[in-house]
Amino acid sequence: MKTPSKTTRMHTLACRMSAEAAAIERLCQVTRIRGFRIEQMQVQTSDDGLEISMTLSGERSIDMLRSQLEKLHTVTHLRPAAEQGPLKQTA
Amino acid sequence: MNAAQHILDTLRRHRIDTVFGYPGGCIMPLYDALVADQAVGGVEHVLCRHEQACALAADGYARASGKVGVCIATSGPGATNLITGVANAHRDSIPMLVITGQVPSSLIGTDAFQETDVLGMTLGIVKHSYLVTAADEIPGVMEEALSLATSGRPGPVWIDIPKDVLLADVNSFIDSAAATDGESPADPVLITHAIDLLRTARQPLLYSGGGISLANAEGAFRRFASASRLPNVVTLKGIGNTGRGHPDHLGMLGMHGSKATNMAVDSCDLLLVIGARLDDRATGAVNTFAPNARLIHIDADAAELGKLCPADLSIRGDLNAILQALTDQFEEQPLAIEPWRKQCRTWHRTHGFQAAVNEDPHAPISGPEFIRQLSSITPRDAIVACDVGQHQMWVAQYFEFDHPRNHLSSSGLGTMGFGLPAAIGAQFAYPDRPVVNVTGDGSFMMNAQELATIRRHKLPIKLIIMDNQCLGMVRQQQELFYGNRESQINLDDNPDFLALARAFDIPSLQITRSDQVRRGIQTILAYDGPMLLHVAIDRTENVWPIVKPGASNRDMLDATHGQSNKTQLSHKENVA
Repeated sequence: MKTPSKTTRMHTLACRMSAEAAAIERLCQVTRIRGFRIEQMQVQTSDDGLEISMTLSGERSIDMLRSQLEKLHTVTHLRPAAEQGPLKQTA
Repeated sequence: MNAAQHILDTLRRHRIDTVFGYPGGCIMPLYDALVADQAVGGVEHVLCRHEQACALAADGYARASGKVGVCIATSGPGATNLITGVANAHRDSIPMLVITGQVPSSLIGTDAFQETDVLGMTLGIVKHSYLVTAADEIPGVMEEALSLATSGRPGPVWIDIPKDVLLADVNSFIDSAAATDGESPADPVLITHAIDLLRTARQPLLYSGGGISLANAEGAFRRFASASRLPNVVTLKGIGNTGRGHPDHLGMLGMHGSKATNMAVDSCDLLLVIGARLDDRATGAVNTFAPNARLIHIDADAAELGKLCPADLSIRGDLNAILQALTDQFEEQPLAIEPWRKQCRTWHRTHGFQAAVNEDPHAPISGPEFIRQLSSITPRDAIVACDVGQHQMWVAQYFEFDHPRNHLSSSGLGTMGFGLPAAIGAQFAYPDRPVVNVTGDGSFMMNAQELATIRRHKLPIKLIIMDNQCLGMVRQQQELFYGNRESQINLDDNPDFLALARAFDIPSLQITRSDQVRRGIQTILAYDGPMLLHVAIDRTENVWPIVKPGASNRDMLDATHGQSNKTQLSHKENVA
C-alpha cells in the first residue's frame, strides 16, 4: 500500500449524476486518471439519478479534478461535501 | 421504422451526407437499412478497408470541413479497431459520431461471439458515450449525441447499440435537435482587465492554437491580431490561424518550433493564450516557460484554465465573442509596442525556419527544401494531410498555410497512419479541391490498405512518401538522446512503393536528386487523378531545432550546435 506523502490531502465531494450505463465507472475513471484515490464512496439511487459522496486523497489540486468532473455529461451537481448551502449547478 | 432506419433518417435530417464504415454481424441491420436509404439518395457510405481508417477518415472529413464526422463499425474487433482513430479525434477535440453494433441484449455479459465491453473500453477517449437498451431511446440519444459532439469543446460521442435494438421499431420521435443554451457574452469586467494587462505590457505576445478553428473564429482572430498588432506564435494545431504572410506572425513554438518563436516566448512580459491548452510539446519544461510573463488564458473549456500553468487572468467562453470584444478596444487605439514588434520581426528574419538550398543538382533531396518547394508550387486552397514523424514537422515548419483547416495533422495523440485516411476524408468533404497526403515510409505502411478506397472512388489524392528507410524521428532521438544506439528503426526492406501503387492502379513517380524535385511535384499536381510521388531522402537528416523531451525550450538544439552545444536563449534581449 502506498504511504501518503506529506502533500497528500483528503477531500470529500458530493455529486449528483444521471443513472446512465457506466456513469459511476466514468466518475471513478476520471478521478483516478486525474491523480486521486477513492478512500470511501457511497452511492444511493434517487428519483433524480444517483447521489454520490466520495472521500478522496491526492496531492494535486482538487479544483482541477472538480473542473474535469463537471465536464462529464452525466454529472448535474458537484460540490465539496463540507460546503454549506445549496448544490451549485454545473455549466 | 426500425431503429437502424431511424439512425439514417436522423443523419439525413442533420445534413450529414457522408459516413465511413465497415460492416459486420451486429451492425448488419444498419447496413440493411442503408440499401433502401441509398436507393432514395440517402447518405453516402464509404467502405474503408480497416475500421481504424474509418475513424481517421471521419476525423479528416471533420477537420477539413468543420462538420461532424461519422464512422460505423460492428461489435468486438470492429469496435476495438476504431479505438485509435476515436482517441485521435478526442485528443484533438474533433466532432465525431461513432456508431457500433453490439451483441443482442440477451447475450451481453455472456462472452458471446464478437462481444466486447465497448462502453467500458472507450470511456477515456470520448466526450460521452451511450449503450442503448431500447429502440425508443434512439431518437433522443441521436439528437443529444450530435449536439454534444459539436457544442462547446467538440469531441467524439460513441453510441453502442445491440443488434436486437437496431431491429426493433421506434415509436417515439423528435423533430429537431433540442435547443441548447447559447454561450453567454464575454464578461465585460474580465475583458477590461485583459485590456489593462495588455496595455501595461511592453512585450506582449499572442499564442493561439486549434481552438480558433474549432470555434470557427478565424475571422475574429485575424481582426484581433490586426487591430492589436500583437506579435504572434502558434501551436501545431494553430498553424494557419493568421493566414499566409501575416507581418507579425513568427511561426510555430515548442519542441520543433523556430528559435525565433521560442525566443519571443522566453522574452515576452505578457502571454495571451487563446484556444490552446499549453501542451508539453509547446511549452517544454513548464517551470521555465515564458519566465517573465504574466499569463492571460482564454478557452472554451473551463477545465483547461489553470490546468498546467496558473494564469493571472482566465476567461472561459465563446472565442468569437471574446475576440470581438477585445478587438473593439484596440481598433481605435492599437497597442504602442513598436520596438517589441520590430525586435520580433528581426528575430523572425534571422532565426526563423530556413531551409538550406543545395545548389548541386545531383545532391540528395533535403526534407525541408522539398516541403518548401511543395509549398511554393501547391495551390493556395490545397488541403495537406500529414502523417506523424519528421515529415510532419517539416510540413509544420516550411509549408505556408492560409487556413488552419487546410493543415490536417495528428497533434495530441500523434497517430502514425493518420494521413492517408484523413486525406480520403478531406477529399470527400471537398471533391474539387487539391488534397495532398505527405507521409513517411513508416506511417504510410500503417494504413496502406486505403489505396483501395482511393481506387474505388477515383479520388484524385496526391500521395507523397518521404522515404528515409527508417523511423526517422525515433532514429533522431536515439542519435541525440540515447548515445546514437539505433533500436528497431530500420525499414530498409520497405516494399517497392511504386509497384504497390501500381497494384492499386495508381500511377507513380520516383525522385532521388534535388534537381528533380520541382518537376516531380508539378507532375503529380497536374495529373488528373491519384498519383504517388516517391521521394528518396537522406536517412541521417534531422529535424532542427529540437528540444529534448521534458527540457526547457531555452535549451534548443540546432544543426549548427549539435548535441553538446545547447543554444542558450537570452531572455533579457535588449529591446530598443
